Amino acid sequence: MRTMLADAPRTALTMAYWGFVLYLFLPLTLMMAMSFKNAAFIAFPIGDWTFDWYLKVMQDKPFLEACAYSVLVAGLTTLAATVIGVWIAMLIATTEGRWGAVLFALACLPAVVPGMISAISLRIFISTIDMPTGTSAIVLGHTVHAVPFVVVMALTRLRSMPANLVDAARDLGADSVVAFFRVTLPYLGPAIGGGMIFCILLSIDDFVRTFFLGGYRPTLPMLIFAKVQGGMSPEINAMATLVLLVTGAVGLYAEYYTRRSRSR
Amino acid sequence: MDPVVQFQNVTKAYGQAVAVDDLNLTIQAGKFVTLLGPSGCGKSTTLRMLGGFEIPNSGRILLAGKDVTRLPPNKRNVNIVFQDYALFPHMNVARNIAFGLELKGLDSSAIHKRVMELLALVQLQDYAARMPSELSGGQRQRVALMRALAPDPQVLLLDEPLSALDAKLRQQMQIELKSIQERTGKTFLFVTHDQEEALTMSDQIVVMNNGKVEQMGDPHTLYSRPQSVFVANFIGDANLLRAKVVGADAQGTALTWNGRQVGALPSAHAMKQGDSVLIVVRPEALRFLSVPSGEGFAGKIRKRVFKGNHTSMTIEVDDGSQLNALVHPGESEAISGEDVWLGWNPRAATVIRDESAAG
Ligand SMILES: Nc1ncnc2c1ncn2[C@@H]1O[C@H](COP(=O)(O)OP(=O)(O)OP(=O)(O)O)[C@@H](O)[C@H]1O
Ligand SMILES: [Mg+2]
Repeated sequence: MRTMLADAPRTALTMAYWGFVLYLFLPLTLMMAMSFKNAAFIAFPIGDWTFDWYLKVMQDKPFLEACAYSVLVAGLTTLAATVIGVWIAMLIATTEGRWGAVLFALACLPAVVPGMISAISLRIFISTIDMPTGTSAIVLGHTVHAVPFVVVMALTRLRSMPANLVDAARDLGADSVVAFFRVTLPYLGPAIGGGMIFCILLSIDDFVRTFFLGGYRPTLPMLIFAKVQGGMSPEINAMATLVLLVTGAVGLYAEYYTRRSRSR
Repeated sequence: MDPVVQFQNVTKAYGQAVAVDDLNLTIQAGKFVTLLGPSGCGKSTTLRMLGGFEIPNSGRILLAGKDVTRLPPNKRNVNIVFQDYALFPHMNVARNIAFGLELKGLDSSAIHKRVMELLALVQLQDYAARMPSELSGGQRQRVALMRALAPDPQVLLLDEPLSALDAKLRQQMQIELKSIQERTGKTFLFVTHDQEEALTMSDQIVVMNNGKVEQMGDPHTLYSRPQSVFVANFIGDANLLRAKVVGADAQGTALTWNGRQVGALPSAHAMKQGDSVLIVVRPEALRFLSVPSGEGFAGKIRKRVFKGNHTSMTIEVDDGSQLNALVHPGESEAISGEDVWLGWNPRAATVIRDESAAG
C-alpha cells in the first residue's frame, strides 16, 4: 500500500511522458499513413493502400528540382557558415577577457533574433544594396542564421583543446597556418562535422527567410507550402514523409557521429 | 668545447612580476644540464624563451652562436618535450614522430626509416600504429621524447617530463632518459624541482632561485661545495653552524665555532677576519668519536629514528643548537639521552657567508 502511494507521482510522470510521446508521434504517424491511401483526398478510413503516390512524387519534376535546389542552398550555406563559424570561434578563443565575451554574445545574436524579424531585415538589406532575390540572397540569410551554431560547437571543442598542442606543432617546425590546418582543424573535426550537419538541417528546414529572400525557384518547404495552398492530397503526405525520413536519418547519424567521436 | 646555448643578461617580466632576472647562463654541447629550483623560480620561463614561446624583455639568447632571441619557435632548431606530452590525439605514434620530419621536407622513405629507428631506441617498434590514447603514461612519455628528438634538434628541452609518472616508473625513466642522452650525444636541458632527480641524471646542475642562477656545477660539487644557504638547503640536508672567521690562508678558513677553534675549511668565497659565516656539514659527514679528543666536541642524543639502511639522529650541542646526523649500521649504537663525542671530516664541510648576519 505504502509503496503504491509512494510510486503514485512516478506513475503519473511516466504516463505523462508516454502521453507526450503519443502527442508527438500521432500527427506524424497519421501523415505517413495517409501517404499510402489510394484516394485523392485525406480522410479516414484509408481503405485501399497504395505506393502510387510515392511513385508519382519520385517522377514529379518540380519536386525533384526543389529537392536539388534545397540541397544546393544547404550545401552553399554549410560551406559558408562553417568557414565563417570556425573563423569566428578561433577569434573568440584567442581574444582574452571581456572582449572575448562581447564577441561571443555578438556571434550568438543571430540565433535568437526571431526568424520573421531576421527575414524582413535581410530583405530590406538586400534591396538596399541592390542584391537581387534568389540563390545568393537565400544563402546569405541561411548563413547568418547557421553561423552561431557552428561557433558554439567549434568553440566548445576549442576550449577543451590542450593549449600546448599548437605549441608542440610550432615547436616541431609548423608556422601558424600549418599548425592550424594540421593540428587545430583535425582536433575540431568532430565538432565541425556536427556543426555542418546542423547547418544542412537548418537550411533545408528554413521557410521564413527563404520566403522573403527567394526568387522564382522554390526550395522544398516553399514547394510544399505552395502545394498545400492548392489543396491537401496524399501526394503532399508522401513528399513530407520522404523529407521526414531523410532529415531524420541525417539527424540520427549526426547524433551517432558526435557521440562516437566524443568517446574517443 | 663550444657553448651551444648562451643566455646573456636575459630578463623576462609579466607585468610587474619578474620571472627571469638578468640571467646569464652558458650551456656546453652534449651535456645533460638540469635547471633546478623551487616552484615559480622561472625554470619554465627560461625554457620557453629558448623554445621561442616567450620573448625576453631584454638580453640576448644565442643558439650555436646565432642570435635567436626573436625568432619564432618554428625557426629555431630546438625541440620541447612538454610536461603533459602534448601528443597529437588524432595521429598515431608513427605520424606523431614523423610530424617534425615531414615539415623538414624529408621524403617518405627517409621519414619511415628514421621513425622506425627512433621507435627501436625505446623498444616501441610494435606500437607505431597505436593512437596516443591507447598508450600507457610511460609509453606516451617515450613517444613524446622521440617526436622531439626526430628533427635532430641542437638542444632538447624537457619541462618536468617525469612529473606525471608514478614513483617507480619515474626512476626507470630517469635512467632511460640519461642513457638516451648518452647514446645520442644530444644536449639535454632538463627542468625539475626534484633535487634527487637532478642529482641522478645531470652532468651539470643550474640551481635557480627568484629568476636568478644561484649556483651552477656538477652534482658532486653542488652537494659538497654549496655557495649559499639556499643551495645548501635545497640540495640534500645540511647542518648550518654559525661561526666567525679568525683567519684565512691557502689551506682554507680558520674559524671559531661554539667557543672553540675549528680547523682550516675550504670556503666558497674569500673571507676575512671577523666575518660571520656558516659551516655546512652534511648529516653523513658527522663522525662519532670513541674517545674525547681535541678535534671533537660534546653532544647529547635527543632523537634516534631507524630508517632501514641508516639511522637518523638529532643531537643537541652545548650551545643549544641541534644537528642531524646520518649514521650507518655499526657506526654507533648510542641511544637517546646518551652523551657522545662528535667530530666531522673537514674535507666534507664547507664555509659559506652568513647572509642573515651580513645584513
Ligand atoms: N603567462 C604568465 N603570466 C603571468 N605570470 C607568469 C606567466 N608565466 C609565468 N608567470 C610567473 O613567472 C614566474 C616564473 O614562472 P615559471 O613558470 O617560469 O616557474 P617555474 O620555475 O617553471 O615553476 P614550476 O616549478 O611551478 O613550474 C612565476 O611567479 C609565475 O607566476
Ligand atoms: Mg614550470
